[in-house]
Amino acid sequence: MDLVTVKGLSKRYGGIVALSEATFSARAGEVHALLGENGAGKSTFIQILSGAVRHDGGSILVDGQDYRPANPDAAQARGIAAVFQELSLIPDLSVEQNIWFRHEPRTLLRTVNRAEMRRKTLALLDKYNFPALRPDQELRRLTLAERQIVEIAKGLAKDPRILILDEATSSLPAREAEWLLKLTRQLAAEGRLVIFISHRMAEVRAIADRLTIFRNGSTIAVHEANAVSDNEIVTQMIGRHLDRLYPERIATATDRIALRVKGLSSDSRLSGVDFALREGEVLGVGGLQGHGQRELFQALFGASKASGTIELWGKPVSIANPRQALTGEDGIALVPEDRRGQGLLLTKSVRENLTLSVIKRFTENGLLSRQKEAALVKEMVDFLRIKAGTPEQLAGTLSGGNQQKVIFGKMLLTQARVLLLYDPTRGVDVGTKGEIFQLMRDLAARGYAILFHSSDMPELVHVADRVLVMRNGHVAATLEGDRISEAGILRAAMLENEAA
Amino acid sequence: MAIAEQPVEMAQRPAEMKSAKPGIDWRGRLLDRAPFLVACLMLALIVAIYGSLQSGVFSLDELNLDTAAALTLMLAATGQTIVLVRGGIDLSIGGMISLGTVIAATRFTDDPSTTALWALAVLALGFLIGALNGLLISLLKLQPFLVTLATWSILNGVAMIILPTDGGSVPAWWVGFGYAQLFGLTSPVWMLLALLLFWWWFRATRVGITIQATGSNEKSAFLSGVSIARVNLITYGLSGLFAAGAALFLTTQTGAGSPTIGKDYILPSVAAAVIGGVSLFGGRGHLAGTLIGAFVLTLIGNLVFVLHVSSYWQPVASGVILLLSVLASSVAEKAARGRVQ
Repeated sequence: MDLVTVKGLSKRYGGIVALSEATFSARAGEVHALLGENGAGKSTFIQILSGAVRHDGGSILVDGQDYRPANPDAAQARGIAAVFQELSLIPDLSVEQNIWFRHEPRTLLRTVNRAEMRRKTLALLDKYNFPALRPDQELRRLTLAERQIVEIAKGLAKDPRILILDEATSSLPAREAEWLLKLTRQLAAEGRLVIFISHRMAEVRAIADRLTIFRNGSTIAVHEANAVSDNEIVTQMIGRHLDRLYPERIATATDRIALRVKGLSSDSRLSGVDFALREGEVLGVGGLQGHGQRELFQALFGASKASGTIELWGKPVSIANPRQALTGEDGIALVPEDRRGQGLLLTKSVRENLTLSVIKRFTENGLLSRQKEAALVKEMVDFLRIKAGTPEQLAGTLSGGNQQKVIFGKMLLTQARVLLLYDPTRGVDVGTKGEIFQLMRDLAARGYAILFHSSDMPELVHVADRVLVMRNGHVAATLEGDRISEAGILRAAMLENEAA
Repeated sequence: MAIAEQPVEMAQRPAEMKSAKPGIDWRGRLLDRAPFLVACLMLALIVAIYGSLQSGVFSLDELNLDTAAALTLMLAATGQTIVLVRGGIDLSIGGMISLGTVIAATRFTDDPSTTALWALAVLALGFLIGALNGLLISLLKLQPFLVTLATWSILNGVAMIILPTDGGSVPAWWVGFGYAQLFGLTSPVWMLLALLLFWWWFRATRVGITIQATGSNEKSAFLSGVSIARVNLITYGLSGLFAAGAALFLTTQTGAGSPTIGKDYILPSVAAAVIGGVSLFGGRGHLAGTLIGAFVLTLIGNLVFVLHVSSYWQPVASGVILLLSVLASSVAEKAARGRVQ
């Protein structure tokens, strides 16, 4: 018999339908993967299951009994715990206080029994072979990966029958991610149901028994994991075929040099970077992580200091801070790595996010022209196909992919024609990824010059015209044409004597 | 099910992570406590100067006197500390203290049972009005600053209606409570110790931890199952209760009621907490620091007196000390963040 049965589940936020008639069923003792693009309704679904949000319509049965939790406590009382992607941890409490928060063992005086709490913590961490954590450490001193692990311990502390893991591996280093995958199997073997959400197909493949695919708030398909191909899954996730993921690569580069970098060096990791980026070109930057890619982008944008020469459209420039980097048609614009922290004001509207940094462009005689602003915003929203109810919708309520499009819009409105894209598809769903690649090619065709870094190597291979491979802070090789391949990039990144 | 047939590989423990290095992080602990230590240092300095200018400073009598002078502020600041740790602020304690003193000064009689009943009524009223603050903040989703500013004004008005000018009186035996002695220590000193004991207990209870957690990160607390409305109700209720307690104690010192006296405790209660290292952003702080802060603010008055300078220098000195404290915490905060990035 199924442990959880969901029928006709619906949820709206204002005019936006997050879930419509979704179904789901899963058994005890299985790892059940939940797949879908960003905005497909996965998050809403698990928020409902974990009691953080209440559903509008439909029914959920747990053990055949009606389930409609009023709050996370009620969900826990029925044996359901969630490991949230945004984490539910308290920065000013210690690791163990966080793990047992609101379920602390108590003394006769009703105070927390610290000795007992320590004993239970060590027992829990030991039972599941947790990575070493110090129970007395304050949470705000921990790295993101460590916090993620504490969140997992907190979920397990409730000894749940149903554990929801929402992208729990995404912030973990490889070894810890591998640990979590094994842990997941172990939990299922103990007879628990693990609902597993991940964007990494290989992980899903490695541990899931079955998988349910969501799209646009509805359930599209349920599969036995070993009876379906990756291609089928992706096709069902995005509702069309994947062959359009990478756009056709038509060479649009001219002979004009948009950005020339000579001998760029810095205290941190850059030692003599040389390259030239041409008008109409998409130039990839690859290599193993931590060989200066990030520092290169920061130095070009003026966010960190570096020596050497930078020429924009033939003119030497010095970029001391991001403000100087931005200005005008000869400028540089950056899509930053951490879009929530650096690129986007989540509590501001799409319109404000797009136009804040370019307010001069629609100011007439010192007054703001709302008409001009509206026209520019509409042009961008249409051009980028940003899916927002109205331009006044708050950026924080958009899906990850649409947030990224807003950042692109913001960047394009600066009129800069040299674009620095640092991992622009990170955390973006497959469908939007395709749109972003197409957009990059379109921009290149219009004469933009694009420097593009991705932590996902196939993206470099399929989108860039040329790829710079960085090693030890300089360009170790420049790959062109047929030589651009994952193997080629890796070889240049790892082998000292590969000729540039 | 096919699952059970697969051999399950036990999850292996991965290598040690970055923050898990064994040993005690002394520097981190020191930085965390820097604002509190600075407050202690300031108090020691003030006491030292005071002691060098005045004889008999290091005596039980002096301790009894200074504690009596500081205790009203300490009681008010205890409630304020709980609210600040929750990440809020309570301005209404000014109104509550005024209202408490005028009720006492107009209703207390020589009959102990009537007086006791009214004293309990004042405490209950304090809790209820505070709880109402909490309720309004949750229901209307308004800033605590605005809600408690409004209730302050209302309570102030009500106090004025009951007793338009300073006056009234409380029974002599009630005033005697403020000077009762046990083992050479007067009741204010015992109350101070009781406050510390209360805090030691309260901060280790689930309610105390939940209030701190909600101040530290409200969203996370909610996701962990905390009812934010309930936390607000208890937090502001306690603040009102302590403000009412402050009012009752104040009448043992003044022997009368005043419809305006409460405003003198609003900002000093926040200042005492901040000097003692309580964060205005919630989640961090201890009552011990607040009580030290209250002592610092009170003794500044004594110091100005024995230095024979104009009493207008007292607020100037208080302000400078407040600035120094805030500076100390922000420097410590930055140093701590620099280490964690």
